[in-house]
Amino acid sequence: MIISIEWLKEFIDIKESNQDLADILSSIGLEAELNGIPQSLEGVITAKVESIKSHPNADRLKICIVNDGIKNFQVVCGAPNVDKGQTIAFAKVGSVLPGNFKIKKAKIRGVDSIGMICSEKELLISDEHDGIFILPNKLDIGQNFIDAYGYKYFSIELDLTPNRPDALSHQGVARDIATKTGRKFNPIQIKSVKPVDNLTLNISIEDQNDCPRYICAIVDNVNVSSSPEWMVERLKAAGQRSVNNIVDISNYVMLEIGQPTHIFDFDKLKRKEIFVRRAVNGEKLTTLDEIEHDLKESQLIITDGKKPIALAGVMGGLDTAVTKNTKKILVESANFNSVTIRKGAKIIQAITDASKRFERGMDPESAEIGFWRVIELLNTCSNGKLVSEKIDQYPKQIKNFEITLRRVELDLILGYRFKKSKIEEIMEGLEINSTWNGKDEWKCIPPLFRPDLEREIDIIEEIARMVGYDKIPSDENIYGTFKYSNPDPEKNINFISETLAGMGFHQVYTNSLQNKFESTLINNKPVKIMNPINQEMGYLRTSLIPGLLKISNYNKKNGKHNFRLFELSKVHEQKTKGLKGIKEKLLLTGIIHGLKDNFNIHNISKKEDIYTLKGYLYSLFTNKLKIKFDLNPSEIIGYDYGQIVLLNGIKSGIMGKLSPHIITKLNLDIQNVFCFELNLNSIMKNLVNKRKFIPINPYPKITRDLNLVMPESQFVDPLIKTILKYGNNLILSVRPENIFRDDSSIGDGNKSVTFSITFQHHSKTLEDKDVNPIIDSIINIVNKIYNAKLRA
Amino acid sequence: MPLNAEIESVKKNFLTEIESLPKDKFLIDKFKNKYLGRKGLVSELLSKINNFKPEDRPDIGQKLNNLKIELSSVFDLKVSSLIQESNNNEIKSFDPTLPGIAPRIGSIHILEQTMNQIKDIFMSVGFHIAYGPEVDDDYHNFSALNIPEHHPARDMQDTFFIDSNTVLRTHTSNVQIHLMEKQSPPLRYIIPGRVYRNESISYKSYCLFHQVEGIYINKIVSFSELKGCLEYFVRQIFGEKRKMRFRPSYFPFTEPSAEVDIWDDDRKKWLEILGCGMVDPNVLENVGYDSKIWHGYAFGMGVERIAMLKYNINDIRLFYNGDIRFLEQFI
Repeated sequence: MIISIEWLKEFIDIKESNQDLADILSSIGLEAELNGIPQSLEGVITAKVESIKSHPNADRLKICIVNDGIKNFQVVCGAPNVDKGQTIAFAKVGSVLPGNFKIKKAKIRGVDSIGMICSEKELLISDEHDGIFILPNKLDIGQNFIDAYGYKYFSIELDLTPNRPDALSHQGVARDIATKTGRKFNPIQIKSVKPVDNLTLNISIEDQNDCPRYICAIVDNVNVSSSPEWMVERLKAAGQRSVNNIVDISNYVMLEIGQPTHIFDFDKLKRKEIFVRRAVNGEKLTTLDEIEHDLKESQLIITDGKKPIALAGVMGGLDTAVTKNTKKILVESANFNSVTIRKGAKIIQAITDASKRFERGMDPESAEIGFWRVIELLNTCSNGKLVSEKIDQYPKQIKNFEITLRRVELDLILGYRFKKSKIEEIMEGLEINSTWNGKDEWKCIPPLFRPDLEREIDIIEEIARMVGYDKIPSDENIYGTFKYSNPDPEKNINFISETLAGMGFHQVYTNSLQNKFESTLINNKPVKIMNPINQEMGYLRTSLIPGLLKISNYNKKNGKHNFRLFELSKVHEQKTKGLKGIKEKLLLTGIIHGLKDNFNIHNISKKEDIYTLKGYLYSLFTNKLKIKFDLNPSEIIGYDYGQIVLLNGIKSGIMGKLSPHIITKLNLDIQNVFCFELNLNSIMKNLVNKRKFIPINPYPKITRDLNLVMPESQFVDPLIKTILKYGNNLILSVRPENIFRDDSSIGDGNKSVTFSITFQHHSKTLEDKDVNPIIDSIINIVNKIYNAKLRA
Repeated sequence: MPLNAEIESVKKNFLTEIESLPKDKFLIDKFKNKYLGRKGLVSELLSKINNFKPEDRPDIGQKLNNLKIELSSVFDLKVSSLIQESNNNEIKSFDPTLPGIAPRIGSIHILEQTMNQIKDIFMSVGFHIAYGPEVDDDYHNFSALNIPEHHPARDMQDTFFIDSNTVLRTHTSNVQIHLMEKQSPPLRYIIPGRVYRNESISYKSYCLFHQVEGIYINKIVSFSELKGCLEYFVRQIFGEKRKMRFRPSYFPFTEPSAEVDIWDDDRKKWLEILGCGMVDPNVLENVGYDSKIWHGYAFGMGVERIAMLKYNINDIRLFYNGDIRFLEQFI
């Protein structure tokens, strides 16, 4: 809603600067920003076009002589509407127009041009740029343009919340300012008039819920022409283009007091009656914007008894619109149900100025005020005469109701006790009729134009916003109880991010919305969005891998060749139908690529591979989180060296090298990507890091190396387990130290693995005689089980 | 020379040369390029494959491929042994102007850092933390929060629908309802999480963002306490001297409602950072709390917005495109 500050002055004295006024409006909940024409424009003055002649080198350009009362200036102007004798806004050389547009001396197609004649757009009055802005002729020339005339276009744009239909009008905004500042508020005074004839017309309403009130009347003898200057100026300042006096009047009244009205060409009504009803499927209506609509049952329409002539509360029909030949008109000022209008407007996907007001809730009383205001303006601006009585269908009068406002509740909610007189002054200003009942309560009757005031809390809000939130002191105490439970049940997840970050992983956040291909890459059924922004974002992701891969590719393109990335986030899967079938999982996914360490002068870094990947996860889970971490080799589609990851023995995800065909399928160009994806749901409860100190064993350790030759295909871990098992509880650790392959010395297809075995006793110093028999029995047993032989 | 002989010769030369390869990055790279580079000897052999009869090509291709794998693995082994060697080498002379060997360090995402900071601030004044589903029914996301269907307030949030009754939550307030349905008052929680809005993507808006909402319910709760709590929060996040204001606004789930602005000295204007208000009695009644007895306040903020203002980030998309040049600024 754009508010013209000059128009506002019709209802209230404005003393403050425009910026201060905007600040006051923001402080009472009508978020305001200065809009349109600048507060000052140095060097832009009123001037007169003395003469014009055509440009010798350009058909469209004219050479104008502009006079500022003292001097003449030669100006080249391309506007088609420029003419001799016009008063115009003249930007002199050296002035700066909005958008930092500096006016300089110029030569246009060989002719000197000293200054510029401004259009409305250049002055930020409107978007009009087809011609120059022609000012009223009565203005003195040589005056500062803003001071002499431009101030009429000072305006404020309000970003209104949907609860305030009353503020969608100059009158409503003025009432709020008056209440805040304590100034006098002068609302529109309505005069009813007697008709000069006694024509009539029948109104019927199918359902009074849809249309609680319908007022109309016939006005004859209208003279369709342009609107008076003051009306054009005010409409323009409020962002509304002038059409003709009849259309303008309807718009003017809506911006003035908020009530939408509609004017039909009476002679074009096929039948002289009004029937308000729901549309029948298949009916058609072409609206003012020349769009033909197939009407739906849920849409409320105005008909001439048979055919639709308007989409009620949204837009009129083209067939019955006012044209320049119109003489006799039907004025409609009605009240429609907010939900009905909202649905109707939604169907045709048009939010109009009228529908915006009706869907927020208009009151039936203002239908009458709006009606008489239109009749009055039709008379003064188009000479229209009322030729029928006011025809008013208002079957069930909507009544005011009473709200009890408890003093204690008001004080409790605000946390501060304001003076009774202040509270009553606010209610009076907002036209809430209140009486103090002596029992610490007010009985309040809110005005009908405030449909948002239904409950005690609504009145409390009005008082709070009008006393000013800055006047409510801040309480710096903490009250209330606390709970014994862990304040953040997911706090321990932070261990994961912190540990991975410490190991050089960058955490990323990626889009949850993916295309069908990405979201089905790993054979899951994704959750589909009914109304996606586009098909590239039509599904919720089921895996974090595609997002991470795209990010890896992106970084590679930007010159990053070595990185470790992870994401810790939720994914969704449509397991079965409906909301209950949607499963949310917390995944931890990572990707490693390139060199393990950044390049440095001292040594050459190792490349990331399946072993470095296993190492990071081992450190994270086994060392940091004390969660058992195991791998199960497995054929996993899309992976080389695919492994099932077991956390505390539960299958929790996979790791491996992403196979090139998956990467190509995603149209990416990156190789040697190692990744893991783990479902954390199963370990969430075990993230509490239970640590217990184990006393440090002071007895010396003995370490023996054992070189065992075994087939290449033999995994190492089973041997370690066996060695530990046969260690008489004296083995502290078994560590594979080295793997040696040499066909000639250890045989084709074999490898030799060095195990470093550390012995320690809990209560004495071990000697060779304690250890030797154990080593012998181990050599024996691994030979038996694994056919592993001591290397010769 | 027949191809087999060529392969043997390349291999032989490779193995001889690699023996004497010194620990020198330049020579190592040069050596690698000579044999395994894009224009190296192995590639050169590969390029000759077209000179052979089509039926011979697969066999030859296989051979050359094996050669490449073999040489690569010998090379890798050599390089890693060189590294080990260098690890064993004692430093002969220390040049303090040479860079040290710095381990790579990662980062926690700036949104997560900001979120953690917000959590810590509210936990320090008695809030607990709750989490809840990102996909929810219309009732928990809208109706229970006093946003009826066909109310203009629905236009305040563009919604992704899964079906006519299921939505991607537009705020984490759905969790407020789940919480209150399960627990009796008093309670005091903040609810962080990912939320979705059907908005086209630009520098200032994304189809999802992160929110932290708070709710405090007790018998006596006032706007004055709400102000105190949020002023504490803003000072912790943006510094103790930061100018801020509470401005009346409207949300269906709170009344009276306010928006909190902070003053931006660079832009010389107020910037909105969070919304708040007293819990609307309808919301309390919807979860079965008697609004004559219980009162509450609630607030909600966008984590992205706070991070953008705090760190001067000018494009919301930077949070999601994973650019390491962005991420490593927040290590």
